[in-house]
Amino acid sequence: MNNLLSAFIGALIAIMIMINGTLSNAFGNYTSTVVIHIIGLLSVIFVLLISKSKFKIVKGTPVYLYSAGAIGVFTVLFNNLSFSQLGVSITLALGLLGQSVSSIIIDNFGLMGMKVIKFEKRKFIGLIFIILGILIMTTL
Amino acid sequence: MFYIFISILAGVSVVISRIINSNLAKIIGIFQSTFFNYVIGLFFSLIFLLISKEILQIPGIKFHSIPLWAYLGGFVGVLVIVLSSYITPKISAFYLTLLIFIGQLFLGIIIDFFTFNKLSLAKIIGGFLVLVGLTYNLILDKKQETS
Repeated sequence: MNNLLSAFIGALIAIMIMINGTLSNAFGNYTSTVVIHIIGLLSVIFVLLISKSKFKIVKGTPVYLYSAGAIGVFTVLFNNLSFSQLGVSITLALGLLGQSVSSIIIDNFGLMGMKVIKFEKRKFIGLIFIILGILIMTTL
Repeated sequence: MFYIFISILAGVSVVISRIINSNLAKIIGIFQSTFFNYVIGLFFSLIFLLISKEILQIPGIKFHSIPLWAYLGGFVGVLVIVLSSYITPKISAFYLTLLIFIGQLFLGIIIDFFTFNKLSLAKIIGGFLVLVGLTYNLILDKKQETS
């Protein structure tokens, strides 16, 4: 059951790329990003209400911790742009490559307060498989 | 080439925002941090819209030609966060990450099949290789963690 739910979360991410991309094709990329954030905000307010979550003010919380939403705007804009040209599966495969490479770099240098996990050369094998797969998906 | 670069950057932005947001979530809670995520995100996407030329085209949008489900992307995004926070303590990070990858690529290929109306063998083989590469590196991560 847990396994099924985990795979379902992945499936939802693919569906989301398709839905947002469709809206972007109809509205334009910037307009749809605003709509997506409005609906998302209303949804999370609903979740906060039914889970009876309370807001607490924690003094000394660094302001940059609130910047994730600003970066998330680029995620939506880039995915929407890419969906219109490449479809869902290639957009996702390339996104996963971007996630792998950036995680490796962040871990290796211990950036953003993460603990240092040195890069293992064997990970090139995994990256080569990912890139090879993307080449096959995009060129054949 | 531009779109390939943009998609990779989308993945990079996912990692950066996920790290920042999980640090905030540790302090104020996952749903509360998601709330701020969307507030800040809405603020910046409004600024982008205002400085873009797109704002002039809004009156010309044919709203009735857009299906209702096309508006639900933001809701699905929140659903992903809620389900992830529910499942994370119940399953190992290794299987969670791997299964999310599998779900994404599998459904992505199915959606493309319906959009382009043809079954692409290249996408199935390529998607499988991507999965092999991701799995291999995840196994290396897991070994490093336990050693």
